[in-house]
Amino acid sequence: MAAGSFLMHAKPGRFSSTMLSWILFATGIGLYFYTAQARHHENPDDRVTPTLAQMVKGITEAAVKPAEDDEPLADNAPLTQRLLASMLWKDTKATARRFVYSLALLVPAVLLGLHMGLFPYAGAFFLRFVLFFDKIVALSLLPILFIAFGIDELSKIMLIVIGVAPTIILDTFNLSRGVPGEQLVKAFTLGARDFDVAYRVVMKQILPRVLNSLRLNLKAVMLFLFAGEMIASTEGLAYRISLLRRHMAMDVIIPYVLWVALLLFVVDLSMRLLNRKLHPWFHEA
Amino acid sequence: MALIQVQSVSVAYGSPAKPVLNNIGLDIEAGEFICLLGRTGCGKSTLLRLILGSETPASGVVTVKGSPRQRPDPVCGYVPQKYSLFPDRTVLDNITFGPEVSEFNLLTRWSPRFYSRRREFRKEALQLMQRLGLRESDAGKYPDQLSGGMQQRVAIAQAFINKPRILLMDEAFSALDPGTRQGMQRLMKQLWRDTGITVVFVTHNTKEALALATRVVVLAKPAPDQGAGILMQFPVAQPCAEAEIGELTTRLESVFGGSEDLEDSLVPTA
Repeated sequence: MAAGSFLMHAKPGRFSSTMLSWILFATGIGLYFYTAQARHHENPDDRVTPTLAQMVKGITEAAVKPAEDDEPLADNAPLTQRLLASMLWKDTKATARRFVYSLALLVPAVLLGLHMGLFPYAGAFFLRFVLFFDKIVALSLLPILFIAFGIDELSKIMLIVIGVAPTIILDTFNLSRGVPGEQLVKAFTLGARDFDVAYRVVMKQILPRVLNSLRLNLKAVMLFLFAGEMIASTEGLAYRISLLRRHMAMDVIIPYVLWVALLLFVVDLSMRLLNRKLHPWFHEA
Repeated sequence: MALIQVQSVSVAYGSPAKPVLNNIGLDIEAGEFICLLGRTGCGKSTLLRLILGSETPASGVVTVKGSPRQRPDPVCGYVPQKYSLFPDRTVLDNITFGPEVSEFNLLTRWSPRFYSRRREFRKEALQLMQRLGLRESDAGKYPDQLSGGMQQRVAIAQAFINKPRILLMDEAFSALDPGTRQGMQRLMKQLWRDTGITVVFVTHNTKEALALATRVVVLAKPAPDQGAGILMQFPVAQPCAEAEIGELTTRLESVFGGSEDLEDSLVPTA
């Protein structure tokens, strides 16, 4: 490797870039299986670091068998029925439903931020309150939410909304304020009314950045969702992880964690592709 | 009555108030091409924004067709130096934005009539593009795919399609290279002649002012801590002969310390 390879002006080739990007993955996987091998050599009943075969068995059972507390399926049930009744599918569906509801409830947050940024009276009315609310640690509200909304879905969804909405509101507020004043004036001179300017000029311009902001907050959404599910739930990926922790079932926990990461990665990628498709004019900095 | 009347207008910013304009009085007749000339920071753009209605004076009044200016509206078209175009719209969509929002609001734009009218707007926009030296193949491009000169042509088309009575241009050609700038000046002059529109053009370039204006209004601050007033104003016969341009340029340069571009010049000596 040349002496200047690690300097700022270095230009790694396509092959080098690909190889470099996989090194940490390969190292992590290698280290894990080396550790698992060593521990199983010492103790064949080790449950902390399951082997690959154990994990495959664990996740396969989760993907085709119902949870222990659910009705068992007939032995000759078709595969589709098995998949749809499985623990993994049921948990994924429950978590996804809460996730989608939460994202949908963030839409009003975007609209509030837009209006706060463009209409001075709305800004004056809400800004101080949202800034204060943003500083409240959402998890500390969890007991209050459980008391106020019960331990059903609503409290979990409210936790996510309360945790993430202020960030989205303030982000949208700042993005709306960032649209050059010349554009607003120009739109008015072209005959636009206030709501035309808000929705046909500003909203359209900031939407790709708002989507990026939502993307960056996906992890926070999941964090609050997991907190809610772990504390009070009867189904969901986090509920299952929490439940399996009691049995030290690492052979299912690890695949579940990877499954969550994969789902989040797919959602993030879909939003990125959608953003690119909907806004071909937008170039990320 | 003059089309635009600026009556004893003063503007100050900040606290404690820092005067920007002091007791400005100016009448602009329909069909005039006014160039507001002065150094950077002397209040030219502020005066333009007062006429535009995006700013209100601390004292005095600005009227257009006898009505006080309260907010920007389609009476005045506007071409700023930058951020003229909506980055999320193609050239064609930028030009048709005006007629579309004027005729259809957020709800009625989903009606079938919108789509038939949009076809007409697009046809008109394409004709205007051709007139302004833009190719039909540019219609689908986004603003960031255009050169500075082309962007300003689109901005002018965007303003012109709405047929405003007045066009306000705030250093609209300042960011262009000299060749493009001259081309845009010729184009603007031609459009002004053809349409008879009233133009108020802000610039700090004396040659540009003399090449375009039928009247040049020079703004200057008597002292750095005082608000700007009208230092002088004089008519310019258009087309202006080279000799006359030379003479007027020398006169202006003597006032501003010997530079064609007032951005580089010293405090007025007058």
